[in-house]
Amino acid sequence: MSNNKHFNEPDDPFELFLVNEGDGEKKITEKPFAGTSNTSDFILLKEDHTLGNLLAEHLKQEPRVLMAGYKVGHPNVPEVLIRLQTDGTISPREILIDVCKQLIASYGQLGREFTREYELRRMVAAGEQENGGR
Amino acid sequence: MEYDTMMMDGESLGPSVKISAADDAYVNFQLSNVDLSFANSLRRVMLAEVPTVAIDLVEVEINTSVLADEFVAHRLGLIPLDSREIDQLNYTRDCDCDQSCGKCTVVLTLHAKCTGDDVMKVYARDLIVGIDRPNNHIGNPVITDPDGLGSLICKLRKGQEIKLSCIAKKGIAKEHAKWSPTSAVGFEYDPHNKLHHLDLWYEADAAEEWPASKNANFEEPPAEGEPFDYDAVPSKFYFEVESAGNIEPDNIIHEGIKEIQKKLAGLIHGLGENDGMDAGYDGPRSPDGMDGGAGWQDQGFTTPYGNTGGTTAWGGGGAATAYGTTPYGNSGSGGGW
Repeated sequence: MSNNKHFNEPDDPFELFLVNEGDGEKKITEKPFAGTSNTSDFILLKEDHTLGNLLAEHLKQEPRVLMAGYKVGHPNVPEVLIRLQTDGTISPREILIDVCKQLIASYGQLGREFTREYELRRMVAAGEQENGGR
Repeated sequence: MEYDTMMMDGESLGPSVKISAADDAYVNFQLSNVDLSFANSLRRVMLAEVPTVAIDLVEVEINTSVLADEFVAHRLGLIPLDSREIDQLNYTRDCDCDQSCGKCTVVLTLHAKCTGDDVMKVYARDLIVGIDRPNNHIGNPVITDPDGLGSLICKLRKGQEIKLSCIAKKGIAKEHAKWSPTSAVGFEYDPHNKLHHLDLWYEADAAEEWPASKNANFEEPPAEGEPFDYDAVPSKFYFEVESAGNIEPDNIIHEGIKEIQKKLAGLIHGLGENDGMDAGYDGPRSPDGMDGGAGWQDQGFTTPYGNTGGTTAWGGGGAATAYGTTPYGNSGSGGGW
């Protein structure tokens, strides 16, 4: 694994983003956290702040979430830990899935909104060009 | 709290976009009605995780130029290659072939020899692109200058020669920055620093020494003696997405969105899998998730998760999936996975 590699070993060019399933790695694993109730840690392999911050921030916006936070333990280790506590009406896993779905939908909406604005702009530009030509 | 009038049209509750400037090299837009993490993830993914093609392996046959082989190889890697419709190209590591084939690589060759007395300049246009590739534009060196030359690779003096063949592969900028589709992504919010996220150092007068950015015109400057709003959060983000030439700027944004969606969908799948449905799932291998899934190929701007009806990427067969019927595709006849 990346953290106990000899310095002379060649780098794996994909170590930052490719989950090594041959070694039994999983993209995401849930570990219930014993210290508090309704709390789970999620370990995301080969991910970084892009997902960590996005998910943690959006989990916090959920009313049923009591606590959410993330860390990237070491800048050279591409792993994210998300700790998530809910109020007990829903499991951490379910609410994480929920938030992922909402985000997928929001990004989809952003894509459509962008296309609309971009096409609109192009049509306006084309119209102006036509008028200028006359 | 100020509300944007842009919210009035279209999907009024979701992200709102206003394009302030664009051409074929860049697009500047304002993103509002989203939070900082949402905007920042889009920025990060556009910089580092949108796949493109770039020269990755170079086999040098003759190099009598003044530049060392690896120096030339590095320069070749940095040449932007046309990466539109990148979905048609496989990652070499996921491809069925042994080493490389026309489905996962593009071959470019270069042969130049200086015979005249003047110094000969070898440009990207001198690269000859192999015919075995998914379509007839992918892997073409990007040439945008009026003379049609492209990037300068090296210079040759009389008698010097360079002959090599290159293998271009699909990759992402997390592996090497040469695969970045953007040369820069400008990102700014709160141009008047009302939120005090910045602590501007100054000699005598901060206002004098920190000239307002052009985005400051889009927002009200703070009123004289205005109290600090502790609850305020950034709500409007100014993006300047500049393409390196390999993908059009608007497509960089769409591809970026697609990459985030794939990541999130991968998590949903990963979480669902723990729920007693361990049935022979190979799992995502590449950052683009599932290789070879037809469900991921979409045309144009519709995302794989969009309202494309029955065949969505994770609508998929049995109703027994952990995420059941979702707004992203109900029932459906098996999508990508």
